[in-house]
Amino acid sequence: MRRFLMTHLLVGLLTALLVSPAFAQQTRITWWGHSNCSKDLVAEWNKKNPNTPVQYDFFAMTPYFQKLTAALSTRSAADMFTLIDFLLPGFTAKNVLAPIRPEWLGYKDLEDMKKAYIPGALDGYIHKGKLYALPPIASGFSLFINTKHFREAGLDPDKDYPRTWEDVGRIGKKLVKMRGSRMVREGFDFAMHSSTWTMWYFNTTIRQYGGEILDASGKKCLANSEAGVKAMNVRARIAHHYKASDPTVSLGTNALPADDLPKGRVSMFITHAGSVAQFGPKVMKYVKVVPFPQVDPKKPVTPIYGFALAVNPHISEAKQRAVHKVLKHVVNDSKTWYERTSYPHPDKNFLNLPGMEDARKTRYLDVFVKDISNGRFLQRSDKVLELNQAIHRAMERVVLKKEDSKKSLDRACKEIDAALAKK
Amino acid sequence: MRRKTMLRLGGALITLFALFGVWVMLLPYFWMVSSSIKTGIEVFDLPIKWIPDDIQWVNYPNALAKGAFGVYFYNSFVVAFAVMGGNLVFCTLAGYGLAKFRFPHRELCFRLILSTLMLPLEIVLVPTFLVVRDLGLVNTYGGLIAPLAVDAFGVFLMRQSIRDIPDSLIEAARMDGCSEFGIFWRIILPNCKPALGALALLAFRDNWDQFLWPFIVATTDNLKTFPLGLAQMEGIDSAAYHEIMALAVMGMIPAAFIFLFFQRAFVRGITLTGLKE
Amino acid sequence: MGREIGVDRTLPSKIRRLVAGGGKRSLHSHLRWAGFFFVLPALIHLIIFKFYPMLQAFRLSFYRYDLMSPPVFTGLENYNLLWQNPLFHQSFWVSVKYMFGVSIPEWFFALALALLLNRRMPGRSVIRLAYFFPIAMSQIVVAMVWKFMYHPYGLVNTILETFGIGRINWLSMEESALPALIAIGIWRGIPLFGVIYLAGLQAIPKEYHEAAIIDGAGVFQRFFYVTIPLLLPTITFVMVLSLLSAVKVFLNPLVMTEGGPNGTTKVLPYFIYETGFAFFRMGEAAAASMVLFVFLFGLTLIQLRLLRRGGVE
Repeated sequence: MRRFLMTHLLVGLLTALLVSPAFAQQTRITWWGHSNCSKDLVAEWNKKNPNTPVQYDFFAMTPYFQKLTAALSTRSAADMFTLIDFLLPGFTAKNVLAPIRPEWLGYKDLEDMKKAYIPGALDGYIHKGKLYALPPIASGFSLFINTKHFREAGLDPDKDYPRTWEDVGRIGKKLVKMRGSRMVREGFDFAMHSSTWTMWYFNTTIRQYGGEILDASGKKCLANSEAGVKAMNVRARIAHHYKASDPTVSLGTNALPADDLPKGRVSMFITHAGSVAQFGPKVMKYVKVVPFPQVDPKKPVTPIYGFALAVNPHISEAKQRAVHKVLKHVVNDSKTWYERTSYPHPDKNFLNLPGMEDARKTRYLDVFVKDISNGRFLQRSDKVLELNQAIHRAMERVVLKKEDSKKSLDRACKEIDAALAKK
Repeated sequence: MRRKTMLRLGGALITLFALFGVWVMLLPYFWMVSSSIKTGIEVFDLPIKWIPDDIQWVNYPNALAKGAFGVYFYNSFVVAFAVMGGNLVFCTLAGYGLAKFRFPHRELCFRLILSTLMLPLEIVLVPTFLVVRDLGLVNTYGGLIAPLAVDAFGVFLMRQSIRDIPDSLIEAARMDGCSEFGIFWRIILPNCKPALGALALLAFRDNWDQFLWPFIVATTDNLKTFPLGLAQMEGIDSAAYHEIMALAVMGMIPAAFIFLFFQRAFVRGITLTGLKE
Repeated sequence: MGREIGVDRTLPSKIRRLVAGGGKRSLHSHLRWAGFFFVLPALIHLIIFKFYPMLQAFRLSFYRYDLMSPPVFTGLENYNLLWQNPLFHQSFWVSVKYMFGVSIPEWFFALALALLLNRRMPGRSVIRLAYFFPIAMSQIVVAMVWKFMYHPYGLVNTILETFGIGRINWLSMEESALPALIAIGIWRGIPLFGVIYLAGLQAIPKEYHEAAIIDGAGVFQRFFYVTIPLLLPTITFVMVLSLLSAVKVFLNPLVMTEGGPNGTTKVLPYFIYETGFAFFRMGEAAAASMVLFVFLFGLTLIQLRLLRRGGVE
């Protein structure tokens, strides 16, 4: 055993010495991402472009942004990397992203480029009139309902599905199943596992009531306004007035927030288009997707988010140009992305691409794309994560401890204002 | 006579208690193994079915095929063994120096070493990364290994254990004209085997499982370690928990073997503490 | 009886003499520095990879630094911001609760486990391996598995229900979330420190126990007058290290509760990580770390002093 240890030690040290000098390639482009799908696109690219090969490295989601930050701060990041939309302001404020050049992608300018996309779909990536990341996917949230449970409760899933939040509470109540005093099936529930999800719901509802989280300058919290209190009451009412959900149940759910739906533990749940692929065709047979609930269905607002590709500003212009060619290759293959991930592409003509008819019928593509086109990105702020957490805590106090919405939001606004005051 | 039966009864009770404890300790582990042979949908089914109707051994090869796991395992072995080696050598030397010599500022030295345990890695991450970068070690085995090669944990453990060794032994060897290093080699090492075993085991385990540091330092696939491979299974496209669990089971095997191997270090010279009345 | 009293009095002092390191006048003066050379390699390593980064972190605590733009000197502002931030205060106390909640049970249970595994019993090596398994489990897997165990419909509740206790939604109530995480910490810590105690027990020379048996000492007398005094260095180690390792927990709350509900599981390392890498305020994170550092350093010195007074040195 000792010899075994020693040999391995030696092999390790020797390899360490041999591998040390980093590969100094001519025009190798590096890309950090978090999706397996990109791997195949890269392989395809490398076959066609042996002179500018792309080296794709895949990282797990949660710590990925930490690695990215550490790398950007030490100027050792990849040439291009994936970002989630709401982190963009944090990065653009610090000038660590290179602007995307529409002219290198074959558009006349940014306005021309916007016309090729679903209206508003690029807004989340624009800062001071410049585009900083290119989305290969767009996602919104829609309401998923279990049609079996609907029929059991004597409801018609095609007609009786909820349009407004009050509908959600009213219908949700009918879908609840109790055993003694304990709820064994929730009629509806919000995901509670993540402050970002909380903010997607809350930010959207406050906008449905005509409010905003921050004022126009982005320096003052407005979440405790009348609209904010109403938006918070939506959650409180569904839990406490209608008793359509047991909010303590969903916090502890596993890593897949939407998993309670295919397990039959909840009858209605709000989730993203990617869930269609996660649930699989067997579950989707009895799950129907309907539009995101509204305050007033005539003035719809929904949440939208996306992952997008950004360019490292520390590389030469020639290399940036080469990176743009790769970007173009990646975003042009919207159909592959869709088939692999179920996330639609924000392309205006996406629905009319050949081969989409089937998906429109069976995978609720129309519903998703419609919700996305009513979509608005999360409040832009370089303090967005602090905003999310303050609102999440406020929501927990209201929903779990039955604190008054106004009082709870006042405290959240105090926390948010303190965060915004910091440089 | 009565005392003897009492003792025997007590012994049996303790054994029973130990066996009960084993089940409590192992429950999560059973779940892990059971999940690794289910289909993805069954994993989170409740109530739990410990043995699925249709055992999915195929999860294991499928999971391994999802990444360059041969490379990841190899890298983890290299890093874990190298760091373990570094710790065994340097921590034992330092522990001996601190335990058995009185040099000026010894206590200060010890406290300084101990103080390195008191800052979370997150906070020294960027400065440490800068050191590694300036040494040209980013994305190399050296960068993965060097910053971890000495841990104050090990220095402290060895200092405490070497203190137990009677000074008379050292004195006697010194009288016989043994060199200082000779004393270390012939007297100290053989007498602190149990602690060395514990250190080796824990160093191996910790570094087999090391996540954050390799994650920051390794940027290409050929340098990723096993936990990085495990974590990247949890991509947004697919959360394949059955396969993650299959990998997790395989990831435990090396540590279990190392434990069995080093266990002898603890077991040797058994055992008076309990029985033998 | 008289012989037993004799054991009680003489054995500890003999042991004390044997255990007491240093203070040997017979050491030649040239040996004074020999010890330093044994320490030197480790010290050099730590200076490069630990002290230097620590000093950098200390310096950063007086700067405003977002990791991407150059740092700006702001004096004590970061400390002032922390002092005024109720969330920092909350995190600090969560960490203190977690630290003692995990480590104090560990001190006793780990020793009990080591004594247990040091006995002769059927299938001992299998039992030892079984107890060791929780530490062989990868941290990220621990978090994933336990999250599922604590699920409202999960294993823990299934077991409780068979005893007629209703469902408890462990991770979503302020009262139970932290205790639930503490239980995981203990579960994982006991085998770890058990292994160290086991090593310490094995290092006790047989002769002491044999001598004590010849002198007629019973099981408990041997435990208190032989095992405990000889194990004191190991006990010191476990007491100090269990606190230091408990306070660093971070992955479990991150994966299982995101610090919630309402911040009740946001331990200080999580706060630090988040302030630095999510909120991009590295200076403030560094300042928070310095507070943690001073607290832990003070605590450790007190522990070492108390344990020394307890008779080791």
